[in-house]
Amino acid sequence: MTRPLAVAHRRPRTLSFRGASSRRATRDPPTRPTRSRVLRLTLVTALVQAATLTGLAARPASAETVRVFAASSLTEAFREIAAAHEAARPGMKVELSFAGTQVLRTQIEQGAPADVFASADLAHSEALARAGLLATPRTFARNALAVVVPAGPARVASLADLARPGVRVVVAGPAVPAGRYTVEALRRLAAPGSLGPGFDARVRANVVSEETNVRAVLSKVVLGEADAGFVYQTDAASAGARVRVLEVPSSVVAEYSIGVVSGAADAAAAEAFVGLVLGERGQAILRRHGFR
Amino acid sequence: MASAERPPAALWLASSVLVVYITLPLAALLLVLPPGELLEHLRSPMALRALWLSVKTTLVATLLAVLLGTPLAYLLARFSFRGRDVLDTLVDLPITIPPVVAGVALLLAFGRRGLLGRHLDVLGASVAFTTVAVVMAQLLIASPFFVKAARAGFESVDTRLEAAARTLGASPWRVFWTVTVPLARPALLSGVVLAWARALSEFGATMMFAGNFPGRTQTLTLAVMTALESDLETAVAVSALSLGLALVALVAAKRMAGRWSVPRA
Repeated sequence: MTRPLAVAHRRPRTLSFRGASSRRATRDPPTRPTRSRVLRLTLVTALVQAATLTGLAARPASAETVRVFAASSLTEAFREIAAAHEAARPGMKVELSFAGTQVLRTQIEQGAPADVFASADLAHSEALARAGLLATPRTFARNALAVVVPAGPARVASLADLARPGVRVVVAGPAVPAGRYTVEALRRLAAPGSLGPGFDARVRANVVSEETNVRAVLSKVVLGEADAGFVYQTDAASAGARVRVLEVPSSVVAEYSIGVVSGAADAAAAEAFVGLVLGERGQAILRRHGFR
Repeated sequence: MASAERPPAALWLASSVLVVYITLPLAALLLVLPPGELLEHLRSPMALRALWLSVKTTLVATLLAVLLGTPLAYLLARFSFRGRDVLDTLVDLPITIPPVVAGVALLLAFGRRGLLGRHLDVLGASVAFTTVAVVMAQLLIASPFFVKAARAGFESVDTRLEAAARTLGASPWRVFWTVTVPLARPALLSGVVLAWARALSEFGATMMFAGNFPGRTQTLTLAVMTALESDLETAVAVSALSLGLALVALVAAKRMAGRWSVPRA
């Protein structure tokens, strides 16, 4: 089997207003305080205050809610885990928000009220942990890539067909974990002895869309708009008979990680949810959905 | 008619809430990055490609909206016939449905397995994931804005003036171009600008129907969405640019409407 990927990639710093940032403030050339400058400063102060106020207001009074931000490939599995959590703890409510991991990360960096972050890779959660926004992320599931093609007569019968001119391939974008795994999988397929050098470049020339999450890739294939798409094996399974799956040999392994977001409204409740995911019950549900 | 007397303080106060609410987020967009950095991020290949694609597609979509929408607006404004109300509602519908729903509808109609698309696909002409799909999404969402404005414009033209021109021997075609269109011009122009601005802000239908690929289907709005995930500064810069474009469009529309408006007796 293959080693998991840990690709570090560049991320922008969190945006902050000039009025609130000493780094930017010192870089501004010293000018005399003109009227417009004073006006601007007042505005910025007002903006910062407004932002702080709304940030406080966004926290709900009820402590019995866990807000879980999860990678979209976890959709079905986490819905089931959330239901199990709610059933086991009366009065507990789990709010799920699914999107591409990189979208969720940006939202958390910008102060979105999340309690638990479940990432489709290690890179994004480790970056949040480094920024002090996430307590130690732990690996809780593994997944592998697969190529899906529409059911019925399809233009792609084997992986080699992906490189044929005119084939429409849809992938996840370069910031999406699935997109980065795809790039790596293609690189490995282009190795000598596999599909040969140049394979990855020819496939990439066939890419017609870079979606913002892996489920959007899947739906483009299910609808028959794309001839093939790179998704996770679990996504392929969730689409059932509507797609046909081509195995990707020696594919990269996606490692999913989960952690409690710093400043969670109720850290204990968030911990309890993470515990369920890591525990026997949660692992059984994940396995049933095809995770390893 | 607007009164020249000073508005009462209470009215100012009541109005100010919404004004501040509108101003704050827009100001934030412009203030968060220093102007220099803003420009620098606008020069990124992603922003430039998205800008160029948006300019191209919205101009084509607006042109099509005018070409295809003018006869329809005239029909609705000047003739009464069975089913006119139904037609009128139908034309307004894209304004009220969520754009992403319009995108699904476009897929189901023109997608490769769609109602019409499956026949097009046999002919080798499939539109999904192409720049054509971007224009189609924009046309569907934006054209009703032009039709509505143009219809109101045609309705505001005094038919007696047209009749007078006819009695002087002008052909209906000539009357349309020399009497109706000039008199309806402010409405027509504001319809053009509204449709263009709506096409520029199109997101949901484009995302669904055209996909997201730099230089081909990644318009300004899709670039904001994509950049938001990896390069926040570029996302803010492109957002600020879109705000600027919208502002220019509005000011232009108001000026044109003012210059060409015809005082009526």
